[in-house]
Amino acid sequence: MKNLIIYFLLCFSCSLVSQNKYITKTGNINFEASVPAFEEVKAEHKIVTAILNSDNGEFAALALVKGFRFKNALMEEHFNENYAESDTYPKATFKGKIIDFDLSNLNLQASSFVIKGELTFHGKTIQFDNLDILISKNKDIISISGSFKTKAADFDIKIPKIVRSKIAKNIEVTFNYLLKRKLKFN
Amino acid sequence: MRKYLTLLILLMLVVITAYNYLYQAHRNIETETPEFVVSSQSLFQQFAKNPSNSEIKYLNKTIDVSGVISEVNKQYLVLNDNIFCKLEKPHDLSNLAEDRILIRGRLIGYDDLLNEIKLDQCVILKQFN
Repeated sequence: MKNLIIYFLLCFSCSLVSQNKYITKTGNINFEASVPAFEEVKAEHKIVTAILNSDNGEFAALALVKGFRFKNALMEEHFNENYAESDTYPKATFKGKIIDFDLSNLNLQASSFVIKGELTFHGKTIQFDNLDILISKNKDIISISGSFKTKAADFDIKIPKIVRSKIAKNIEVTFNYLLKRKLKFN
Repeated sequence: MRKYLTLLILLMLVVITAYNYLYQAHRNIETETPEFVVSSQSLFQQFAKNPSNSEIKYLNKTIDVSGVISEVNKQYLVLNDNIFCKLEKPHDLSNLAEDRILIRGRLIGYDDLLNEIKLDQCVILKQFN
């Protein structure tokens, strides 16, 4: 009997969870730290996972660091081995909340919102208090995009002296998610 | 004269080697020999049981995985609801839905938001049935 109650409770809570989630498995994150006249330092990630709870505006994203692709294979290798240390820290994550999120106010025209949360990369966590993002909605798809500037030092990443002049101090990060409504959550 | 010629050839060799090192080609997963050949169930169970050891074992490795397609898209497919495979070249695979396949790719990690193992640069090797 007790098991039965637990079972029903589980089913019920699962069905609650299943509502109003918007998900993508193919989110985009790009970063660039290029210096003019030197080779571009730029990477793209095309398979970022992101989940938005449209009831309360809670948002989470996860990028597997090895998924960042560079044009230059050697640069990609150095990024993974010496800077991001992706064997030790395979994940980059963001967990946060969109302030005053209201699904019913979204439309085709992008409106600006503020998100706050924590970004973890290379084992270091930094806090965002008011990051501007743009959100629009087309039928069952919510689009979230934005950008920010950060520094390698913020994540405890040391850039050796010889390459310091070739890597910009301010790294520009842009992100773009097309989240689809998920009816069944597994 | 001959001294200068040898010097020039040596210099050229150094430049070519340096260039080839700096602008080396990306890995070609399709032509690599897989380090592991596993079924999607076995791979997922290994990660479920011991995520950190499995990460050490599989991260960045080329593997062949067999399984049944549970989700398919132009960009990616999912095997048995838990192995996500980003295709090297996007193409329409909707005719493969629910088929059993063997796929080769590079394992990039475990996604604990969706409980999926992620592979990139995937190519379909075989289609069963």
